[in-house]
Amino acid sequence: MVNQNSARGFFLAAVALFFMATALRYPLGDLAHAGPGLFPLLLSVPLLAIALLIIVQARLSAPVPLSFNFKNIALIMLGLVAFVVGAQLVNAALGIVLMVFIAGFAAVTYSWKRNLKIALGLIVVAYVFERFLGLNLRLF
Amino acid sequence: MEILNNLAFGFEHALTPANLLYCAIGCVVGTLVGLLPGLGPLATISLLLPLTYSLPTGGALIMLAGIYYGAQYGDSVSAITMKIPHASSIVACIDGYQMTLKGKTGLALFTAGVSSFIGGTVAIVVLASLAPTLGQVALLFGPTDYCALMLVGFVCVSFITTGSLLNGLAMCLLGVLLGQVGTDLETGLERFTFGLPSLTDGVSLVSLALGCFGIAEITKNLDAREERTPFNGKIHLMPTWPEFKRIIPSALRGSVVGSILGILPGGGPVIAQFAAYALDKKVSKYKDEIGSGAIEGVAGQAAADEAAARTSFIPLMSIGIPENAVMALMMAAFIIKGIQPGPNMIAKHPDLFWGLVASMWVGNCFLLILNVPLVRFWLSVFKIPYNVLFPSILFFCCIGTFSVNNSLNDIFTTAAFGLIGYTMMRLSLDPAPMMLGFILGPMLEEYFRRAMIISRGSFTTFFTHPISATLLCLIGVFFAFQLFIAFRAKRAVVVEAPAASG
Repeated sequence: MVNQNSARGFFLAAVALFFMATALRYPLGDLAHAGPGLFPLLLSVPLLAIALLIIVQARLSAPVPLSFNFKNIALIMLGLVAFVVGAQLVNAALGIVLMVFIAGFAAVTYSWKRNLKIALGLIVVAYVFERFLGLNLRLF
Repeated sequence: MEILNNLAFGFEHALTPANLLYCAIGCVVGTLVGLLPGLGPLATISLLLPLTYSLPTGGALIMLAGIYYGAQYGDSVSAITMKIPHASSIVACIDGYQMTLKGKTGLALFTAGVSSFIGGTVAIVVLASLAPTLGQVALLFGPTDYCALMLVGFVCVSFITTGSLLNGLAMCLLGVLLGQVGTDLETGLERFTFGLPSLTDGVSLVSLALGCFGIAEITKNLDAREERTPFNGKIHLMPTWPEFKRIIPSALRGSVVGSILGILPGGGPVIAQFAAYALDKKVSKYKDEIGSGAIEGVAGQAAADEAAARTSFIPLMSIGIPENAVMALMMAAFIIKGIQPGPNMIAKHPDLFWGLVASMWVGNCFLLILNVPLVRFWLSVFKIPYNVLFPSILFFCCIGTFSVNNSLNDIFTTAAFGLIGYTMMRLSLDPAPMMLGFILGPMLEEYFRRAMIISRGSFTTFFTHPISATLLCLIGVFFAFQLFIAFRAKRAVVVEAPAASG
């Protein structure tokens, strides 16, 4: 079981270390003439300290299980990527159809008929946006 | 008298046909989206912010304000009828839903509508009289004072929004760090961009907001796999005279509490609702009924909610510092439209300021006229199954992101923030303080650098200026108090443990 509290600490520590390491690659200057790296470095130090404190706190308290549903977030991400790829390669209408059919797998029940109706409805909405609000979507 | 003149000037702008239309659209769309499960005011504004890009400045701000308080009202409707709580309507679930169970849904909704109107009206008077005065005070602020004020805001928002000071502060810092991505304005050097042209101008606010509040919320709701039962009960809106009489005192109390708490850093509707509810439980004539479906349990908190939503504009428009995440998003909208909120805003753009203040009252009327009689229509939104709703919200996230730069690649950024937002949600990290940090980050850096240049690199400058010294001392006292509470709680556990085992 992954402890949510520890995972939170490690996540924040990783973010702090990333910003810290990258900030060190930029000129730091001094306080009176701060370089572009100084302020992010000054911020990542307390963030790292908080992350370490959270990790220590997690060791001292009862663990809380981390729940993370990979399937749903992966399907939503895939749906968004499919929208962009479909819209770039063919047109936005295909992108909408791909997004609805892929993201639809994350729903409680899957129905291709329902997905088709949703996709058609969204294409109509996109047409209204393109035709009347001047959105440059390249629908067809 | 001057206030009346200013308000009359504001109404001149707010009552133009175009601005009336924008206000009405904002209220209606805000209510509609605010009703949807999982979409609170923050997510609603994030989702609808791109809609205002092509509008004239005044109209866009009026519409956004309408969306904000429309979403607040929509939240309370879903809380009263179906006990679907959002952060901004937790208190409405208590007595509001109890009234629904007793078959008094119509009375609860009427009470919420009228109380919101009273709260909003009182808050507008406070806003109109206090904002210009506070704007004058803000002219005394130097770079060190602004830095300290932002830090106070971070600490308050971190503590109030998340309940855990450490988690909240971490999220604020993360937000400020994300705000560093892009070109450094002083040296022209690109920071944290990895050579990606889309990051040269920094992380897109819309991508961050839609990813963390839109996509992450959708996925969280999908994980819950809850099928909600639509509300099908009867609604009798009109109360009897004795019922109506019970609304007024409680709504007035709530208005005062909300107006005060809305102005304080970290304040806003959530804390105001709890405070008004607690006050009613202490002083109301019907305090024994509160908790089991009393009118006072709905009236006070609804008035406080709406009053705080409006007075939280005061620090933003007079000092230029937003005091919560929703106001930070509003500030971003102001900046996108080329308006820098702050002490000079009233002098430079009186039409915008007073027009917005007056439009809030117009929006109040719209909410009362449109929403109370049309509540049955609004509730039909819940009949749409989530399986149909979520692909549509996803589509609007795509359209919203695309419309900013007409770039499909920006949707990848939104998707990435969706994943980050979902991960943070699963780690119990609230993204609201991050949003505040992200929007204030560049400003904090600018003021910090300016303070350091003026003081030739001496940190003591923060303690030699009276305003910043006072604010930093307040933060110090707050931290010391938190440490004291933590130690006391630990000692209590240590003392109780042997007693329990003995």
